[in-house]
Order: sequence, then C-alpha cells, then structure tokens
Amino acid sequence: MASISLKELNKSYGALTVVHDIDLEIADKEFIILVGPSGCGKSTTLRMIAGLEEISGGELKIGGDVMNDVPSKDRDIAMVFQNYALYPHMTVYKNMAFGLQLRKVSRDYIDAQVQDAARILDISHLLNRKPKALSGGQRQRVALGRAMVRNPAVFLLDEPLSNLDAKLRGTMRSEITKLHKRLNATFIYVTHDQVEAMTMADRIVVMKDGHIQQVDTPQNLYDRPVNMFVAGFIGAPQMNMLPSTILRRGEGYVAVFDGRELPLPAHFDQNRIAPYEGRELVLGIRPENFHELPPADIAPENLAPLKAVVELAEPMGSEVHLNMVAGGRNLIARVSPRYRPDIGEEATLVADMTNAQLFDKETERSILY
Amino acid sequence: MQWLREMWTREGPGIPKDAPKKTGLALFAEILVREWWEMVKLNILFILASLLVVTLPAALVAMARVSVTFVEDRNTYLLRDFTEAFLRYFWRATAWGLVLAGGLAIGIHAIVAYTAGARDNLLLSVPLAIALVATAFVTVLACHLIILMVMRDLPASRLLRLAALASIIRPLPALAALAFVASLWLAHILFYPVSVFMPATFNFSLGMFAVVFGAHRAAVMVLELPPYRKPHARNAS
Repeated sequence: MASISLKELNKSYGALTVVHDIDLEIADKEFIILVGPSGCGKSTTLRMIAGLEEISGGELKIGGDVMNDVPSKDRDIAMVFQNYALYPHMTVYKNMAFGLQLRKVSRDYIDAQVQDAARILDISHLLNRKPKALSGGQRQRVALGRAMVRNPAVFLLDEPLSNLDAKLRGTMRSEITKLHKRLNATFIYVTHDQVEAMTMADRIVVMKDGHIQQVDTPQNLYDRPVNMFVAGFIGAPQMNMLPSTILRRGEGYVAVFDGRELPLPAHFDQNRIAPYEGRELVLGIRPENFHELPPADIAPENLAPLKAVVELAEPMGSEVHLNMVAGGRNLIARVSPRYRPDIGEEATLVADMTNAQLFDKETERSILY
Repeated sequence: MQWLREMWTREGPGIPKDAPKKTGLALFAEILVREWWEMVKLNILFILASLLVVTLPAALVAMARVSVTFVEDRNTYLLRDFTEAFLRYFWRATAWGLVLAGGLAIGIHAIVAYTAGARDNLLLSVPLAIALVATAFVTVLACHLIILMVMRDLPASRLLRLAALASIIRPLPALAALAFVASLWLAHILFYPVSVFMPATFNFSLGMFAVVFGAHRAAVMVLELPPYRKPHARNAS
C-alpha cells in the first residue's frame, strides 16, 4: 500500500517560499505527473517526497505513515534522476546492485533482482559494460533498473527523458508506461513536457509558481481547464485566447470578437454566463477547432465564420499550422494540409464553438467549471 | 572540473543488442580493451597471493576463475571473486598443481635427456619426439584442466578425462595461447630492464586470460554447454 498524501506541504528558502501549501492525494499504484514550467516547484515537491529536501511545513504521508522526518533510505522509494546519476567507474550490474549491497542483502537475492530487472528492461547484454559505452536511452534504462531492483513502493522520476532525443523519448515514454503497469507501483513523475504528461499519466498535477493549478485526468485537463494557465499550458499549439464581449441573443449568448458574433453553445451553463452579459471576458478556442470548411458532424448553430489574415503557414505533414491575425490578436489554427492559403491573404475559417472556453478576464479562472 | 565531468557523463555510442558477436582475435581485443584495468588489478592480486610460493597453484586457479568471467562477459567483483576462488580451490589446485608440475618436470627432463642422447645416437630422436609431444600435450591438458576446474565442480577422474578430451579435440587454440604467453615472457627478457614493469602489471593476468580465451571453447564443448553461453546466466558459474 503506497498511497501518498501531501497536506499543506510547503518549502521555503529563507524568506522565499517556492512551494505553497500543497494538498494532494495520490492513490496506490497511480501514475501521477507533476507538470509545469521551469521554477514552478514540481521538482522541489518531488524531492521533498524523496526526502532530499527538508519539508518546511505541512505533512507528508506515505502508506499512511508520516514521513516528514524519516530518512530518505527508509521511505521505501526509489528515484530516477534526469542526468541518470550512474557511477561511471562501475559496470551496469554494479550500478544496479549497489543500493542492495549497501543494505547488506544476500548475494543471491541481489543477483536475482538485477537479472530480473535487466530482463524486463532488455539490458541483459549491457550488464558487464560501463556507462561510458552506453547511449542515453540505455543509460536511462539502467537508471530505471537501479530503481527497480530495490522493489520500492513508490517510484519518483525527475524529468527522466529530458536528455533523450525526440524519437527515443517517444519510445521510452511507452516503455515507462508499460513498466508502471507491470510493476504495479505508485509512480510520481516530474516533467515540463506536456506531451509526456498527457500520454503517460493517470492524473496530471499542473503547477505554477509553487501552487497547484489543477489536478485531473489528461482528457479533463484538456477539455475542462479551470483557468487560463492550464488552458494555455496543456495543448500544442496552445489555446487561442480572444478577448470578447458577452451579449445576449434570444435565448442564448454570443461572444463578440473583432466585430463578429460567435454563438455560445446551448449546453454551456447559462447561469454562469449571465453575470458576464455586457462585460469583457476571454474566449478560448483550441487551434483544432478552426476549420477551413464547416464540419458535417457539428451542429450549424455552434459554428461561426471568422476572418483572419494569414501570416505564416507551417506544414506539419498531417496538418498545417496557420499563424494568423484577427482583431489585432494572434491566432493559430490547425487545418488540413490540403488547405494552403497565401501568406497575407484574408482567410475565412469556421470556428467550432462546441468546446470553447470562457475565462474571467481579471481572475483568469474559467467561468464554466 | 567541467571537462572531467563531461568525460564521465558524456553519452557513448550505445551497444546494439543484436550486433553480431565478435569472434577470434577481434573478440580477444575487445575483451582486452574492456577489461584491461581489471587485468592490471588481477595481476597485482595474483602476485600478492602467490608470494608464499605454496599458494601459487591456488592463486593461478583463482586468476583463471576471474579470467573465465572476462571471457564469458559476466560481471565480476574482482577482490571478492578472486579471494573466494582462492579459498575454494586451494586444496584441489595444490594437488593438481603438484601432479601437473610433476608431469611437466618428467616431460622436460625426458626432453633434455633425449636431446643430449640424440646428438650421439640418432635413434634417440624418436623418444625425443615422443617426449616433446607428450610434454606439449600435458601442458595443453593442464590449461584445459584448470579452466574446467573453475567452470564446473567435477570429480577428479571426470575432470582429467574431460581435460584430455578437450586437449585432443581443440589443441591448437590452447597451443597458440601458450605461444602468446611465451612471447610475453620473451619480450620481458629481451627488453629487460625496460620491460621490468611487465610482470608487475600484466604478464601473469594477460597470459592467463589468453589461455582461458584459447581453452574456453573446448571446455564448453566437452561440458556440453551451448556453444555460445549466454552471459549472466544464473548457472553460469
């Protein structure tokens, strides 16, 4: 049982507080990812869980036991670092076995653990090699293996894929996900890469400036961001934020942007929108919700034309990212690769409002959730 | 210090899992490059362990035990494995050492005696040739016997039989290894005193590694192991 509970956990360096009263419940065997920009406190939070940073305030529980003052080695955790932290003078086998040797575990047990971990990670052929001969991906596997042999209840991974090239990162992402399912342990993973977070996590914790912004499943974070930061951070290219004015039209409301009325879908909670009538708020539309032609599967009342001047077209192979300007705001649209408007041309796109977001301009919080 | 850190942490080229395994001299060179520092340490361990002379056979066998792990590409904890092997094989190694040294002494004595006699009587060149072949065979047999002893726990009679069998089916690699050993010592003698460091650093361990490398395949064959033993197999010791 390795559930983890953080209650009002904070970390200060003198007068500077870098983690502010974090509350978080992590279930046993959950794969949770802390994501956020550099300096948001995600690594510090992980290091507090690991016991590598002293906890300034609050309470940390692992498996129901308070761990604030328990030494790192007694927390039944294993950590994988960004730079792998392998001992360069030891072979892979010795690197993996070292932690168990310090615990005075029997030689047969160590050997069995190392061989099993090597088999799972497909590094049996590397056991007698030194780290200097290994590629980044192989080193990363060794670092994972070193964590695995300890058979910990909780794995802590601090940006483990940051040093790998894009292709290898993709491979290792899926391998770590499979490993989590296989090991049935709790994984806490820190990254600034939202693709890693979206593809691997059971739940994602989005952090900013030492505060948790939102904790939810990847899809919910994408579909129902609670504020503009989360909406902007999750999704690539990021969500378009358009300052708009809410007006009532018949039974519903419209958002007026650049002189055009964009209808707000009927399924939006009208009671939440009503207080903003006549006021300015921020309308969020994801790039993929712009289309060159009206999609057949979207109700026509949720579609609205929008004119924008094309500044740049970035062909991505399967799609084209159009960088455009409308109403003095930059927009990005993901459209079909067959649609290639000329640079400088005023293109008319269709905005699908079904999944639009509305944010309070002052608080930046979603008014829908 | 940054450059030093870079030297340690810089990524290597990686080791493809399905890369074809090197063979022959290429494999010999690869292992040598990989394990050269371990061999230097092993050489020093051997010298220390054999200082008492009576411990020489056990030190030799312990060195063979470690060299087998080099050849089989298995992890080794040098001091621990050497010490364990030294203690474990001490009596067996001493007994076999006496027997084999006795055999070699007889062979060498016969060669010297028949060589002297053959100068006067050409007919003695026949027993001289037999003595030469027999001594060479005993030497090759000794190599295989030591390797087999550290690869499997076998009764003395079976060990001798398998060593003889290995010496018959693949004598040339072991002879080549012995020639390499001889060349190491010849170089030491020829370039003395410049070469004074050679025995202290690598002559013993490199020589034993060469012998193990040469005799290992035959040992695997007579033990009926898969031709290419999987490294790190649980039962690989």
